[in-house]
Amino acid sequence: MARLARLAILILGLVALGGLAGCGGSGSIAVSDAWARPSMGMDRAGAAYLVIANEGDEDDVLLGATSPAAATVEVHETTMEGDGSMAMRPIESLAIPAGETVRLEPGGYHMMLIELTGELAVGDEIEITLSFERAGEVTVSAEVREG
Amino acid sequence: MQHAASDAAVDRRWAVLGLGGAALALVAIVVLAAWAAVDRTAGTADADGPAGGSSGEASSYAYPTVVPAPPLDLVDHSGRPFDLADLRGHPVLVFFGYTHCPDVCPATVGTVNRVLGDVGEAPRVLFVSIDPERDTPEAMAEYVRFLPDGYVGLTGNDVQVRAAADGYRVSYAKVETGSEAGYAMAHTAELYLIDPEGRLRFHYPFGTGEEIIAADVAALLAERS
Repeated sequence: MARLARLAILILGLVALGGLAGCGGSGSIAVSDAWARPSMGMDRAGAAYLVIANEGDEDDVLLGATSPAAATVEVHETTMEGDGSMAMRPIESLAIPAGETVRLEPGGYHMMLIELTGELAVGDEIEITLSFERAGEVTVSAEVREG
Repeated sequence: MQHAASDAAVDRRWAVLGLGGAALALVAIVVLAAWAAVDRTAGTADADGPAGGSSGEASSYAYPTVVPAPPLDLVDHSGRPFDLADLRGHPVLVFFGYTHCPDVCPATVGTVNRVLGDVGEAPRVLFVSIDPERDTPEAMAEYVRFLPDGYVGLTGNDVQVRAAADGYRVSYAKVETGSEAGYAMAHTAELYLIDPEGRLRFHYPFGTGEEIIAADVAALLAERS
């Protein structure tokens, strides 16, 4: 009987995981919806966006990221200044509190792909590896697309 | 991952995994249902709201007072002097940015491109650099190459660019951020719409939906004919 219950529990769990297909995950951190903008020439930094969900009970911190697509990856934040202008600055780390989802999306947080190693064209896929204080490294594939 | 110490621990872990997974699935269903409900509500609100695009009326982003569009005495991406009067007869979308801007400016470009796709007769688009240090006419030409037809890249010297920006009440400043990508430019990220008579008619905050802008462009075209 316990065996049957275990099986049922496992199947439920797998169905739930199946629903989250396409997410990169490690421990309680799940990264999804990763995409990057097409490059605008090799001299300019690219940008990538994704969604980080902390499904665990403990706070985590995004410490940085790397990608074979760029020499350096920085996390930046775009903010509205007092005069209504928008400014962009690198941030050292990004808190991902327990139970919360942090979205890197246009006009907010984004990954800067600095010194691209190649053109990024619509339809390409690039890998991005995120480094978390608790969850360790999580690698996701980001599709290159327009907005 | 810790090693399980006993059968009891294993049982607990299986239960947690299964229940956690089921809970996640439940959350996903609830979120999707809520999302769909919000979409439906938002759709209705948009159609009735003051910024409604489908009615053919001007959006709430119209300037209360209509004035001639401030001049843009700059050079285009071919290095030729630009004259806004040359675009008389066409709606013109204008925004200020810089080509090393990876987040805000491409988002605006994306919005504009969807407007171009939505409107039968495409407006002309002016991308005005507020980063004259890096954005030479050559740099603008390279950037415009990645954009659809109808874009003109504009730049100039410090004085010209400042004068152009002031005309549209655009503020900008160089920000040394310590990024490997070099300095950034803080700048006003609104989009402006000039009518075919050369008058400044609308200004849209960053993030305004393309359907609102496209409806205003269509209204300007209807006004003309």
